[in-house]
Amino acid sequence: MINFFSLEAFKLRHKLRAWLGPLLIMILVLIAFPLSIDISQYDLNKFYFSVIVVSLLMISFLATESIFSEDYEDGSLEQIHLEEKDFYKITLAKILVHVFFIGIPMALIGSIFSFANGVSFAEVPKIFVILSISTLILFNVFAFGSALSINKGSMLGVVASLPLALPAIVLLGRGVRTVQYGQGFFEVSVLMAGVALIVTALMPIIISATLKTHLE
Amino acid sequence: MLTSFIHRFSSPKSFVEVTALFFPYVMFLGFLCLALGWIWGLAFAPEDAIQGNSYRIIFLHVPASIMAQLIYFFMSICALMHLVWRVKLAAYLIKSAAPVGVLITFIALFSGSIWGIPTWGTWWQWDARITSTLILFIMYLGIITLHSSFSNAEKADRLMSILVVVGVVNIPIIKKSVDWWSTLHQPASISISDGASIDPSMLYPLTISILGMALTMIALGILVSKFYILTREKNKKWVQSYV
Repeated sequence: MINFFSLEAFKLRHKLRAWLGPLLIMILVLIAFPLSIDISQYDLNKFYFSVIVVSLLMISFLATESIFSEDYEDGSLEQIHLEEKDFYKITLAKILVHVFFIGIPMALIGSIFSFANGVSFAEVPKIFVILSISTLILFNVFAFGSALSINKGSMLGVVASLPLALPAIVLLGRGVRTVQYGQGFFEVSVLMAGVALIVTALMPIIISATLKTHLE
Repeated sequence: MLTSFIHRFSSPKSFVEVTALFFPYVMFLGFLCLALGWIWGLAFAPEDAIQGNSYRIIFLHVPASIMAQLIYFFMSICALMHLVWRVKLAAYLIKSAAPVGVLITFIALFSGSIWGIPTWGTWWQWDARITSTLILFIMYLGIITLHSSFSNAEKADRLMSILVVVGVVNIPIIKKSVDWWSTLHQPASISISDGASIDPSMLYPLTISILGMALTMIALGILVSKFYILTREKNKKWVQSYV
């Protein structure tokens, strides 16, 4: 399993566009929002979380868009399938490496920007925790969308998987509210962590079945 | 034993033959129940003490909303059958049920929207139940889009089945949305565990309308699936007798 992780980490580290691109887009979106509308700082504090949440949703999709496509196109997936290697471990490794290299930095960027928009310094770690757990859920869901639409373009993946991501967004919204109102953070974050663990355990099985269908 | 039973009774040919036998009766009963339920509900049921006559849209809205969720549930059972036992007919039924699901979910959303004007003063509210039903509508469209994206029909069937099974997670969310969130949408008026909270004079025509809608949807599903099966199996000998 460690071998899969180090191999996937090596591959992603050398694809600068794949991990740096989504992070830069997230920063640009978060900068663009206050510039694009003329609202007071007070209003901005109220709305800014929504922008962070929606940008997290969209950038998560962008980040996982080509998670399997390159391996599919160059025949690596087919070779893995023919060698009867464990697809589950490979899929899990890919998702976790993407979360580590892109999801966690995205959560960090989101929490720094929330600090820049009126959230107290003490609350920033809470925002980071919630956003990190959310990226884990979202990356799993969108990796599934990416697996479904592996050679059919990203639009199909969005259409297929975005409705599945919306319950995660509801949870994320609830988590953000607990930080804003200062109560119930522990309960909601534990709930989110539980959902994230279940999704992380199950989704690679589903994704493996999807990839095998493409290869058969 | 279960597998052999399923395979014996789930061939497209036997499905078309068996459903052709009872299709007219299902359609007739469905239309009859719908007509009875709607005439009773619209003309003879008493006026609501608070909402006046505007509540009468429940005789369309409630059956449509229930069917929107039930059709997806049916599709998910078919998807499991297709994935586990590789039953070809199950995939055909999913593909045929999806457009019916789109239609009925649209009716549920549209009728709810019409009801929203006199009761809430707005056509649309970003309420948990309404939003989750809209997500269901998009899911149906996503399933149809996914299937139509692949030229290899068998591959499309399997991918569609996987998506349907994963998407079933949204059904309990839609069902329980009115309990889990404080919503503008009212909680369920009819519950298996708590019984009905509405007066029998409204409950009876509503129940008949739900039954009528269910039978009509089954009839519509049979019709759509028959056309789809004949299209997919067009190269088989048995189809020639239907063309």
